[in-house]
Amino acid sequence: MKKLRMPLLILTSTTLALSACAGFQTNNSSEGETNDDGKTVVDFWSFWGSELRRPVIDKIVADFNASQDEIEVKHTYSPWGDIWTKELAAIAAGNPPDVVINDINATAIRGQENQAMNLSEFMDDGFADKFYPELWNATLYEGDSYGIPFNTDTRVLFYNKDAFEEVGLDPEDPPATWEELEEYAAMLDVKNGDDYDRLGFYPLWGVGYDVWLLNANGENYFGEDNNVDNVNINTGTNVEVLNWLKSWRDRIGENVVNSYQAQIDSQQGNPFFSGDLAMLVQQPTFYTQISEYAEDLNFGVAPLPEYEPGNGHTSWGGGFVAEIPEGSSDPEAAWAFIEYLTGAEAQEYWAVENFDNVANIEAAEAAAESDELSEEGQMVYQMAVESMENTLLTPAPVEAPGFYNYINPHVDEFFLGSMTAEEALAQAQADVEDLIQKNQ
Amino acid sequence: MEKKRLTIRRKESIYGYIFIMPFIVGFFAFTAGPLLFSLAGSFTDYNITSRMDFVGVENYQSLIVDDGLFRTSLWNTIYYVAFSVPLTTLGAIFISALLNQDVPGIRVFRTLYYLPAVLSGVGVYLLWMQLLEPGTGMVNLLLGWVGIDGPNWLYDPDWTKPSLILMKLWSVGGSMLLYLASMQGVSKSLYEAAEIDGASRWRQFVHITIPMITPVIFFDVVTSLIGGFQIFQEAYIMSGNGEGGPANSLLFYNLYMWNQAFENFDMGYAMAMSWILFVIVFVLTLINLKLAPRWVHYEGEEK
Amino acid sequence: MAKTDDRTDYLTGTDKTEAQSVLNTKPRYWEHRGNRNNMWRLFNFVLLAAGSLLILSPLWWMFATSLKTMAEVMSYPPSFFPESWEWANYIRAWQAAPFTTYTINTITITTFVVIGSVLANSFIAYGFAKIPFRGKGIWFAIVLSTMMIPGFVTLIPQYVLFANLGWVNTYYPLIVPHFFGSAFYIFLLRQFYMTIPTELIEAAKIEGASHFYIWWKIGLPLTKPALATVAIFSFNGAWNDFLGPLLYLNDENLYTLQLGLAVFKGQLSTQWNYLMAGSLLVLLPVILLFFFFQKYFIQGINLSSGGK
Repeated sequence: MKKLRMPLLILTSTTLALSACAGFQTNNSSEGETNDDGKTVVDFWSFWGSELRRPVIDKIVADFNASQDEIEVKHTYSPWGDIWTKELAAIAAGNPPDVVINDINATAIRGQENQAMNLSEFMDDGFADKFYPELWNATLYEGDSYGIPFNTDTRVLFYNKDAFEEVGLDPEDPPATWEELEEYAAMLDVKNGDDYDRLGFYPLWGVGYDVWLLNANGENYFGEDNNVDNVNINTGTNVEVLNWLKSWRDRIGENVVNSYQAQIDSQQGNPFFSGDLAMLVQQPTFYTQISEYAEDLNFGVAPLPEYEPGNGHTSWGGGFVAEIPEGSSDPEAAWAFIEYLTGAEAQEYWAVENFDNVANIEAAEAAAESDELSEEGQMVYQMAVESMENTLLTPAPVEAPGFYNYINPHVDEFFLGSMTAEEALAQAQADVEDLIQKNQ
Repeated sequence: MEKKRLTIRRKESIYGYIFIMPFIVGFFAFTAGPLLFSLAGSFTDYNITSRMDFVGVENYQSLIVDDGLFRTSLWNTIYYVAFSVPLTTLGAIFISALLNQDVPGIRVFRTLYYLPAVLSGVGVYLLWMQLLEPGTGMVNLLLGWVGIDGPNWLYDPDWTKPSLILMKLWSVGGSMLLYLASMQGVSKSLYEAAEIDGASRWRQFVHITIPMITPVIFFDVVTSLIGGFQIFQEAYIMSGNGEGGPANSLLFYNLYMWNQAFENFDMGYAMAMSWILFVIVFVLTLINLKLAPRWVHYEGEEK
Repeated sequence: MAKTDDRTDYLTGTDKTEAQSVLNTKPRYWEHRGNRNNMWRLFNFVLLAAGSLLILSPLWWMFATSLKTMAEVMSYPPSFFPESWEWANYIRAWQAAPFTTYTINTITITTFVVIGSVLANSFIAYGFAKIPFRGKGIWFAIVLSTMMIPGFVTLIPQYVLFANLGWVNTYYPLIVPHFFGSAFYIFLLRQFYMTIPTELIEAAKIEGASHFYIWWKIGLPLTKPALATVAIFSFNGAWNDFLGPLLYLNDENLYTLQLGLAVFKGQLSTQWNYLMAGSLLVLLPVILLFFFFQKYFIQGINLSSGGK
């Protein structure tokens, strides 16, 4: 026992010594925080920690802090994706931060579940008009908003102008319909035995099958108002679209598709940069990667081609909102910050510095003309702003949380050849209807 | 005499409880509460933030009676456990047997083989996605050298689980360490005696090494069984952000549970799932514990 | 025949078989057997070297990526050797976040976790393995049971518990529970203690030693390889822990290395070269520790026969 005493003594004394260090100081003063200057502290969590994004958001926070003398915003970075697990735990414990950036598509559900606060009481009339209506509507639960749209995205077609020229296509005239897309793609293919030296296009790199369904239908599975009374999964158009997508796969060959796919999935080695792929559907921010990793690429952007002439260039997007978690110690101050964050000035700064689509219409339009962007940058941003007009979101209805988990497996089976499109969609339709029934 | 033995036994009991007291204290302080909470929560529609109403056995009922994804996820998990546990156990024993020899550079070898076990997290899984790429990925490249036309790995539902098992085999370094520690404990004199009797290396391995390390084999089997049923992160990353694709072939039990709890906020349902899993794993462990005396050989045990 | 170490201890007195009483030391038993053995060693070596290649090739990819420019990482098809060896990536990665602070934080947490794990688990495991007491079976079942419930469902209530203790944003939730044992290590060490002959403990008791003394003087030294394993595992676990620090630390000054590495992985794109450089840097201490800790295996003591 004597020998035991010494290590234990050392242990206890280090513990005591360390308890003076920051990580060992307990702190219960989290309610109604104020800092030394008597300012209200607003805890703000985001997942923007990269070299690119961090300085931009920190500057916006600093500007806000300097703009008034009542509130001090404290920005904390937390890892992408996991930040929301952390937020949920903090809400459950009744000690959440005051502002968090969260996924726009689940905003209504978070409102319903009392995770995010109802923000309607804070806002003036006409506040909603500052944002793209599609985005705003995605934040509503029973007519009230539970998060203010911050940034967003859309899908556009990037194409290689040099390749167009090479095969005799007009580089200023990108494909406008699915038919043209197919035709151009075939012309752009450069085959080499079973392999390709250059591939014209493959519709499922960069986006999922659901974007093409959305594009063809001009609305999502649950109709225009996202109402679960009508579930439009098993429709004639959708069958046709799936078969069309499969025809690409059959034509190009499974091995080639998988090989490129794996490359794109791993977020490395993009064949579009090297000219091995002539057209690719991506988000407008893809431009930042082109300008960084493939400076010399001569490329253009176009809206998603339409299903049939006159059908509309419907595209798909998502985005993020700034929300106040339920239990925030000072929602008023949090709101003041959110107003600033989603205001035209901060939004334009964010848009230009990050080359990111923002939710504030005025800011987005100003950014497209900003002198800080290069000519190419302006071109892409302009296309993004135009595409936003046709961009739909697909938030999960509160009665059908995670509905895509019930559709994707069947569609997978269709692509793998173990089901026909009709069978796959019929099963998906039945599964989603079951899900809705369970949740009603 | 009778009386004295009793007091000795009682004294031993007191000692026993003193020794396991840290666990008991920690259990009641940190673990028991959350466990009970999750058990209680499994009979409610708990959504983490605002709702926790009693719903009886509804969660259990709908899981067992009419949740197809629940069955899929359970099947996937059982498939994974059934293959990964025996394969990784054998693999680890084999490698540790090699690493328990006197070979030049053995410390370097040991470190190398342990390396994959140290590497963890998202980076490794993304790395494997790259390696398993059907066209130019390294795995198929190597298979090509020996004339095998490699499968589509993560894109073919029949091969997704084998992909994960392969990855698991790559990182058996953790259990290898256990076996190595245990083999180091086997008395060299036993081998010497066998050597004198002219026993071959293989016979020595089967008749000395294996029996002497059965306590650790037992440990490894039980814990990797428990751990195997909880496979999550690999599938979460490698199936396209937790969707479990293609064709739900990577929808493992815990992945489905995670989606219910943190995507759909149906925590009550997830808690019910966790207790069903508990019962399954508990029964399997119990069977293991019951079978143990037949094959696990504790050198220190009184016969 | 090997040299015989004639020091006696508890074991030599109680040993039954002749073979077991012969204590081993170097040189190893096979070293006198000439050519066949050299062939065997060569065979082993080749097998191990071939295996190492399989193990190392994925790691090569990591290493190569860490030295590429992002433009090269994004080029298609991927290159096997970096075009220009960008050693500066390591410096840039290190500076992308306050990694020096994160290292100190991680070392602090890890040190406590390792000390706690080794002491507590070994203590508890001794009780389960070597002391007969009523209710042992039930308690051992409870120990094992704590491993069987997926952590997701206890994550929220546990967080609430620590929040009520005022421990959120401190290291306590990451450290303190390790001083109360954890099922995996208790079970592991119990398995090792089970191989210590009961006669050995009985003999010590007859000489008047208490269980504490036996645990400290006999149990700990005899299970050194196992303790080294626990130390390595718990070091590794604490060093690589992501979820714990993620949940409990709110102040970026308290963040750990794993949280720091996450900055390279964004919503849309990943800075692969920095991520790999950072991962390798973070990995380095673990590898070094393992390399030097190995001697505890090599000098390991024969559990079954006692010895040395």
